[in-house]
Amino acid sequence: MAEAALAPDTARGAAPHRAQPLARRRYALEIRQHMAWRWQALILAAALAAGFAISAAILVAAGVPADELANEFVTQTFLDGQNFRAVLFQAAPMILVGLAGSLAFRARFWNLGLEGQMIWGAIGATAVSIWQLGPEPLRLPLMFAAAIGCGLLWVLGPAWLKLRLGVNEIISTLMLNYMAANFLLHLVYGAWKDPKDSFPYSPQFRVFERLPELGAGIGSAILLAGIVALLAWWLVGVSRAGLYLRFVDANPRVAHANGVPVRRTIYGAVLLSGAMAGLAGFAVAAGQEGRLTQAFYQGYGFSGILIAFLARNNPLAATVVALLVAALFVTGRSLQVFYQVPFSMVQLIQAIIVVCVASSDFFIRHRLRRVGTETAP
Amino acid sequence: MNGGVILNWLASTPDFAVPYALAALGLILSERAGVLSLGAEGLMLVGALAGIGAQIAIGQPAVSLALAMLAAATVSVLFAVMVIWLRVNQVIAGLALVFFCQGLTALVGSLAGWTNHATEGIGAMGLWPLSLLPGVGRLFEQNAMVWLTLPLFGAVAWFFARTATGLRLRAVGENPQAADAAGIRVPAWRFAAVLAGSALVGLAGAYISVVSTKLWIAGMTGGRGWIAVGLVIFARWSPWKALVGALLFGCIEALIPQLAAAGVQLPQYFVMMTPYAVTLGVMVWVALSRRGADEEPGALGQAYVREERR
Repeated sequence: MAEAALAPDTARGAAPHRAQPLARRRYALEIRQHMAWRWQALILAAALAAGFAISAAILVAAGVPADELANEFVTQTFLDGQNFRAVLFQAAPMILVGLAGSLAFRARFWNLGLEGQMIWGAIGATAVSIWQLGPEPLRLPLMFAAAIGCGLLWVLGPAWLKLRLGVNEIISTLMLNYMAANFLLHLVYGAWKDPKDSFPYSPQFRVFERLPELGAGIGSAILLAGIVALLAWWLVGVSRAGLYLRFVDANPRVAHANGVPVRRTIYGAVLLSGAMAGLAGFAVAAGQEGRLTQAFYQGYGFSGILIAFLARNNPLAATVVALLVAALFVTGRSLQVFYQVPFSMVQLIQAIIVVCVASSDFFIRHRLRRVGTETAP
Repeated sequence: MNGGVILNWLASTPDFAVPYALAALGLILSERAGVLSLGAEGLMLVGALAGIGAQIAIGQPAVSLALAMLAAATVSVLFAVMVIWLRVNQVIAGLALVFFCQGLTALVGSLAGWTNHATEGIGAMGLWPLSLLPGVGRLFEQNAMVWLTLPLFGAVAWFFARTATGLRLRAVGENPQAADAAGIRVPAWRFAAVLAGSALVGLAGAYISVVSTKLWIAGMTGGRGWIAVGLVIFARWSPWKALVGALLFGCIEALIPQLAAAGVQLPQYFVMMTPYAVTLGVMVWVALSRRGADEEPGALGQAYVREERR
């Protein structure tokens, strides 16, 4: 089984080990070499169940009636046509940030700058709209390309700094998030403010600048996200680049010795990650809001990391997890309306589930073994 | 800029520097023990919210700050259990802690109705006799927390450099295998370091809410926890260098309102970017200079597993 990039180093390459109990130690902690996938699935399911149970308890404490929980989360969200369309609507950028996270983490690059790259993607797309670049039929493809380019450029700096100078990418990408967010405010409160009502957002995109509907109230953004997910799956699962990426993830030095272009592989993965995050910004601006707004990106950065983590950086799994996170967002908004539960509840639930799943890894990687009860002096 | 503006600027610097200084000091405590604490941003929020909550309920700043430390240390138990006992990747656990705290504090703050609820702060305290000097005396009119921060730094620096306990703590962060062989209980020391460090980080957050702004707004720390993480790398895990770095960031942050008050026209949002841009610049400078690269605790970010061969 391929190791996920997010997995701690503990299990990797650990030699088989026989516990040597000290006196009076009745249990020894051992590193587990392998575990049947059925047991892994069971532990994961138990962790998720624990996460859901804690979240449910918090929701009940916050004033949601206990017997309404299942109704709100399952029946209302997935079985109600209108709400399900809302989930798909919400899922498009979610899938894209999840893929962006997965790709960067596969190259062991902590891209925490998903929000910044998303902001720049949306700014790039909006710039094409505001400056009216290109003829009308080409406008949307140009916005698409601008979003990809801007997202990619915003992650180029941290990637270069990390690979060339060894600057910690966690700090650099986060700092660039704050800078991008301030630049966004500079634009929507300044030059790009809508002259019609002078609210802090850009003028509305024209009809041909928006992602069209596919019919039945489903936007084309979700189709775009699905195509990108398939491409990402092909890239990491089938293509030569994907093989390189797994090699670099497993051991960069051995990969280098075997002639794998390590730097180029990492650059490629990280830049593609930025491009996908930029595309997520485009999906929000051109697919949801129809303009550049001041806080559209909030919550996506963490969600992207969470999706990549829960999906073990697998693009297809990321798509499924992203749908579930989107459902959580939609439910969160309805809880906000009906029960006055603050929207920050959504973030708390996400964090609780991450904590539970991350902790459950311990039981997959270790075992407690009884090592005899005699007490040596 | 005239003398008055510069004096105002310098006089307001400590107020902005204290949160960075305390947070960096807390981070140094836990990172010297080998635990990478990326959760500072979240723990600062916990401290800030707990401080304001206690301030609204009790109204005693000293009690509020103490409760804030307690709250941050309590929440950090979750992180400590994850990284020390369950050996979760420290980056994942730190990020999860930040997001957990962001969600938790925003939720509790709004459910309890503490948002934008103004409270009494603490007054200034002159450092006699320096505060009686004409003109520059104003520099020595600071609140009690500013004056407390300095001995706190002295204590931690002394602890690391001069005490056997400090040596043990550093050993745990430098080479846990050797420390374990020498009979030091690595998990227990790391636990203690994380809790103590988190209490200081919580105090830094509470300083922002209880002393500086005197109210709570969700997400009010605005990335200062992350800047503190960068600051510790810049300071090469040395308390005194961290204090200098904190003063530098305090200077920059204090300059923003002074420039606005002096009527200097600058694009507001670019000015607000400066702390983040400076952090980035400082990180690049550290990487370029490559000085003191061996100052980094040897086992930083690595879970210690006695049963595992290395």
